[in-house]
Order: sequence, then structure tokens, then C-alpha cells
Amino acid sequence: MKWCTIKKTLYIGGLFLMIPFFVNAKSKYEEKAEKYKTHWQKLIPTYSKLQFAGSMGLLSAGIGWDYGKRNQWETDLLIGYVPRYSSSAKATFTLKQNYMPWKFNLGKNISMEPLACGLYVNTVMDEDFWVKEPDRYPKGYYNFSTKIRSNIFAGQRFTYNMNSDKYSFAKAVTLFYELSSSDLYIISAFGNSYLKPKDYIHLSLGVKLQIL
Amino acid sequence: MVRTKAHLLILFFTIFFYSCNLFEYQPYDGNISGETGINVKNIKRIKQNTEGKTTIRFVMMGDSQRYYDETEDFVESLNKRNDIDFVIHGGDMSDFGATKEFMWMRDIMNSLKVPYVALLGNHDCLGNGENIFEEIFGEENFSFMAGNTKFVCLNTNALEYDYSHPVPDFSFMKKEIQNIEPGQEKTVIAMHVKPYAEQFNNNVVELFEYYVTKFPKVQFCVNAHNHRLEVDEIFKDGITYYGSDDMRGRNYLLFTITPEGYNYEVVYY
Repeated sequence: MKWCTIKKTLYIGGLFLMIPFFVNAKSKYEEKAEKYKTHWQKLIPTYSKLQFAGSMGLLSAGIGWDYGKRNQWETDLLIGYVPRYSSSAKATFTLKQNYMPWKFNLGKNISMEPLACGLYVNTVMDEDFWVKEPDRYPKGYYNFSTKIRSNIFAGQRFTYNMNSDKYSFAKAVTLFYELSSSDLYIISAFGNSYLKPKDYIHLSLGVKLQIL
Repeated sequence: MVRTKAHLLILFFTIFFYSCNLFEYQPYDGNISGETGINVKNIKRIKQNTEGKTTIRFVMMGDSQRYYDETEDFVESLNKRNDIDFVIHGGDMSDFGATKEFMWMRDIMNSLKVPYVALLGNHDCLGNGENIFEEIFGEENFSFMAGNTKFVCLNTNALEYDYSHPVPDFSFMKKEIQNIEPGQEKTVIAMHVKPYAEQFNNNVVELFEYYVTKFPKVQFCVNAHNHRLEVDEIFKDGITYYGSDDMRGRNYLLFTITPEGYNYEVVYY
């Protein structure tokens, strides 16, 4: 065997030896890329929501994520609009956490969640409102925030599962109503018999489009 | 037929939801329902009721924020009397400046048989509160005639404003000093915050008092804000500042201005 033939054989053999390494490396990368993608895919909102009233705007629209074993948890991000009345129009931002402990099927495509409850924090984008009172005030002068409102709610939902052959815009449509109250009203109602539930409990209506 | 029924149902629900005020857009939305412009209307009533009178009786109260039940009791006890000409609410109708707070307090105060006027308090300025106050009650600075006495009501909540907005408004005071109403002999000055309180613009207290003394025959000044009864001749110049308690204190100040002078009492209810 000539020296160059040996070299050639070794070279080719080496390449062959490296093939599995190349293949392996590529699939490992792909695996990682897949993992990376699926991680980020979890951040794709699974539904969109539209809500009327609810102390966070005349109309609020946003996106959200459902999760949990039975998708019993939901987190919404909503942007609301308060039209101009006695003061200027305002935009609001809401972070909302929903919990639906039960779900019942009412028919072939219809289900109901007899309780949907949770909390939401609403903030007003307006320069006259503050999170913490400005420095000009003595410390603890007002001791609350005009900008950030905490709300509690409870309501019910009805869901219609769409036939995917017929409809492409959503997997399911949910209609819901909620009764809610805000921290300021709960504090005010406490120790005052003048204020009745109709004064501090408010109704809101909404629709959820399940996309994923 | 089905369509008409559906329409009727929609109409019914619309009216039902609307009339119940069930929907709220935001606690600070400024969406006011019910009566507005109260001070202007009541100032007319006060003027008519006290026309030609040389003895007038009025109540000074204030700081009713979140004391809804106590304020209702106040209204009820005052409605049993028939010797009072009007009421001055010294400000702080609301605690948070939220829109509904003003409407609730307005509805309670509207049950008074006698007319009342409301002053702007510092809590009424929170958020967009001053816009709501202005629409429901009226201007931050105003004056009215009761018999032969002019009542000058001033916004003194300086801490709630920056320098672009004059508090107290000396040009308003000057205008009121120069503008003598027909039949005006005496003056009473009402404000939410009295001089030297933390809300007041204390850089101008002496100037403020200088302007106060320029009004014709100033009887005394009344204020609220401190949540306690106070009688204080702040500047040792013969002008006494009477501070009303809050509504939790279940009392009010009753002043009687007579041709000879005036007297006051604290009435508990």
C-alpha cells in the first residue's frame, strides 16, 4: 500500500467516522431549537377578550393565557378606554387573574362554568393620578393610590365549542358576566348602612374567543 | 311577533341596566348622573329666603367624607328644626375624589329642607375630583348674599395645586372686596383650610389676612378640615376663625348674626 493511499483511506475513514458526530450534533441543535421554540410558544396568547364596563373602562380589550390541569386558570392583560365625561378621556391598563373551579357540559357543544372569580388591578394613565403621593405632601398624608385600583369579582360563563370545519376564527366562544367591586367602595361600604350593594357592586359583560 | 318580543326584551334590559346604574366604567370616570350646578341654584334660594332680614342663622359643618350614615343623621336632625336659613358644607364631600362619592353625598345633602352650599375640600381635589366637584356643586371660589351679609367662600387647598393655579386667589378676593352688593353691610369668610394649616399656602398667610380685613365689617371666618371644633383668633386682629368638627363628631356649629353682633353654639345630634 502506498503511503498516499493509506493517507486517503485514513482521511475518508475519518470522515466516515465523523458522520455520526455531525448527524448527532445537528439533531442535538435541532432538539435545543425545538425546546427553545416550545418555551417561547407558551407565551403565545391562547385567547382574546372583550369586556364591557367592570370599573376598568367603558370597553376593555386584550389577550390572555389559560393554564392548569383543566385550564381552570386564566391571566388577562387588558387595555381599557374611559370616554370623556366631566373630565378628560382616559386609557387604563388591567392585569386580571381568573379562576374557574368547575366546568359542566350542558349539551353537545355547550359548556358552563358556574363560577368564575378572581382579582384584577386597574391603573389609569392620566397625569392627575399617582401611585404614591407626590413629595410635596407630608408623609402618609393620604395613604392610598388614586392611580391603582384593586377589584374583586365573581360571575358565570357559557362556552360554545365551534365546529372547526365551519368556523375558522376561533376554537370556542365564551360569553360571561361578572359582578365586581373596587377597594374604595369596599372601604366606604364598611361601617355605612347608607351604601347598599347596588351602590358598590357593578355588572360587566364580556366575550372570550379561544384561539389556541 | 317574535321580532317585536325580542325588541321589547332588548328595550326592557336596556332600561333596566341603565336605570339601575349597574355598569361602572371606572371609579374616576366622571360619569355624573342626577343634579348638577347645586351651589348656583341654592344661592338663589338663600337670597330669596333671607331678603330684607337683619338676623340670619346658618349652620357650618364639613368633612363628611365616608361618614354617610352620620351625615344622614345630621340631615334628619336639621330637618326637624325650622329656625335655620341655610347650611355651609365646609368641604371634603369625598374621601378619595371618586365620582360616585360626590353623588352619594349630594343625594344625602339634597334631602335638607334648607338650601346648602358646598366648599371645595382638599380630598375633593384628588384624581379628577375638582372636575366632578365643579360640575355637581360649582366654582372653587364664590360668594353669595344672605340678608345684609355677604358670604365669601374660598378655595384654600394650596397643597393640591401648583403655582400656575392661584390658591388662595387674591384677584378673586380683591374683586369681591371692590364689588359691594346692594344691601351688603357685613361679611363672613368661609374656607376649607384655615391659615397656618399644612394645606394652606403659608408663604402668604399675612397677605391673606390683610385681604380678609379689607372686606366690609368682617364678622368672623369659618373653616373645616381639622376634624375638631376650634375657636382661634389666629392673627390677634379681632377676627375669629371657627373650625367645625367632622361628621363623625355628630355636632355642628350654629351661628346667629344679629344687628348687634353674632353668637354661636355647638349643637350635638
